Amino acid sequence: MVKKILNWIEVRIGLGELIRTHLTGYLVPVNINIFHTLGLVALSGFIVQVLTGILLLTYYVPQPEYAFKSVQNIMVSVPYGWLFRLMHVVGSNLIVIAVGSHMLSVFFMNSYKKPRELTWFSGASMLLITLTFCLSGYLLPWSQLSYWATTIVTNIPSAIPVFGAITVKCLQGGQSVSGITLGRFFALHVVVMPLLLLTSLSLHLFLIRRIGIATPPLGRKEEKRPWAAFHHEDHPGGYPFFPDFVLKETSMVMAFFALMFLVITFAPTLFLPDDANIPADPFKTPAHIKPEWYFLAPYQMLKVVPNKFVGISLQGIMVALFFLWPFLDVKKEDNLLKRRVLFSVFIATLLGWVVLTIWGKYS
Amino acid sequence: MRYLIAGCLLLMLAASAQAADHEPICILCHDADTMKPEFRKIPAAWRTSWHYRNGVACNDCHGGDAADAALAMSRERGFVGAPKPQAVPEFCGKCHIGILKNYLESGHGKALKASGRGPNCVTCHGSHDIQKANVDIINEQRCTQCHTYDRARAMKQALSGTEQKLRDVESALQKLSSQGMYTAEEEKTLFRTEAEFRTLFHTVDVPLVKERTDGFDHQLAVLQNRADSLFVELRARKNFSGFLTLVFVAGGAVAYLLAKTYR
Repeated sequence: MVKKILNWIEVRIGLGELIRTHLTGYLVPVNINIFHTLGLVALSGFIVQVLTGILLLTYYVPQPEYAFKSVQNIMVSVPYGWLFRLMHVVGSNLIVIAVGSHMLSVFFMNSYKKPRELTWFSGASMLLITLTFCLSGYLLPWSQLSYWATTIVTNIPSAIPVFGAITVKCLQGGQSVSGITLGRFFALHVVVMPLLLLTSLSLHLFLIRRIGIATPPLGRKEEKRPWAAFHHEDHPGGYPFFPDFVLKETSMVMAFFALMFLVITFAPTLFLPDDANIPADPFKTPAHIKPEWYFLAPYQMLKVVPNKFVGISLQGIMVALFFLWPFLDVKKEDNLLKRRVLFSVFIATLLGWVVLTIWGKYS
Repeated sequence: MRYLIAGCLLLMLAASAQAADHEPICILCHDADTMKPEFRKIPAAWRTSWHYRNGVACNDCHGGDAADAALAMSRERGFVGAPKPQAVPEFCGKCHIGILKNYLESGHGKALKASGRGPNCVTCHGSHDIQKANVDIINEQRCTQCHTYDRARAMKQALSGTEQKLRDVESALQKLSSQGMYTAEEEKTLFRTEAEFRTLFHTVDVPLVKERTDGFDHQLAVLQNRADSLFVELRARKNFSGFLTLVFVAGGAVAYLLAKTYR
């Protein structure tokens, strides 16, 4: 009976051929490593965000009078609402780590080079989208923490000459963060950003599948064909994507979720400090507001640079360079360890980021 | 140069935040070196107070315009300086309405009204460095300034049991809150119960206190039961997410071993 059904499907869509082409017969580089699984880890995290987000959306009310109460209701009264919300909150933070680590590993392995400039660009877009996701979602609980952090962040563009004031007004929908801002951020979080992410993700996956997985510069070497014209980068002698690489990816995805539930079990308030439990009060500014940990480094950097406009401009230039880096780095050598200067800058940057984050946290 | 710029590359992406300490403008002058020493110590005392922790600023008690230095002490803006001893109960009673009523009907209030020499709010609570009230305010050193301690001791004994229950419930709710449980409703009920209980203090009426503490004890028992059930819920949550952690650890281990041993 099962054989008949499978045969019925096979005749119509050629399932066997699909599996052979894209799974069992699709070979990945023989020296592929654990860092190549981070993309799927991040994707799994996004899928969980969508699912838990839909569940939260069922009970959440995006109006200042009800937003905080509805989140309380989710945490206290809705069956397993606490679990879905904590998965959403903890998951969003872990996704930032996963996407960031993915970008770092791609940078370290020089996998952004020709012909993968567009793959890098779409990945960088997704990092930016992830952070915007986090930022827009931050306001939705309408707590003291979210209200005042958003007030500060949405006022940053005011340092930009000419367009600053209008940008702030567009973001806030008025003179300050209000119900209009909440509506805008809600629309951004549940409609605009998911569409943008889906677009970037589709492009990213298409490019990976179309061009092929980059051969890592470390470990056993494969012979590489020069890239004169487009061709799919094959890996003869490599491992099948399924089951070999999928099993490796599965173990990492499991580790990601194990970490998520570990945080939920032993540190459920790690990303929800006391101010996140107090409803927003526009007339009462909390004593010390800090952005989320992933914004601490740029936050501290802006504090260190004496002129706000210069600080913002500097960060804008850096974002542009980050996106365009594959077009600027034209050296053929793809082993970062053999490029002393770039490697030193890479390590110094990582250390600088950590220092600025800690400095920002305790300043 | 390209590498240098690229080095800064990852040090970016949005967001600046700066804490804004919104203190009333009164502090500017009261903190200044030119201020008289007895007035200059007020801001430091206020910053240690229960009022400060709850966002009660200078102008909330003294009036005036806290945003405009020129009008900070304007009588037109309702500024009132330090009140005379007899005016203190009404001064504090603008907010502590229930307590004012009970105080004025008590022996303390009547004495102040009759002679102008009875204890007012600041006699027991202090002024700018005012702390959260508790039963220890009733003590021999303070009470014997005016009368014997016998009646005060009886009052304190009647209040102590309820006071302890208040502290226990408060501590339980704080612990729950710190572990991510929403206890806003319970905290509101506790606040109401505590406020009514504090009102009772001010009657200085021992039989009345003894009669009404049973009611407070009952309300606190309900709250304590609620807190206990939330602790049970918290444990259940922890166990469930702990179980999920183990499921994924086991799943990850199986997948890893399969990946290692597949060929």
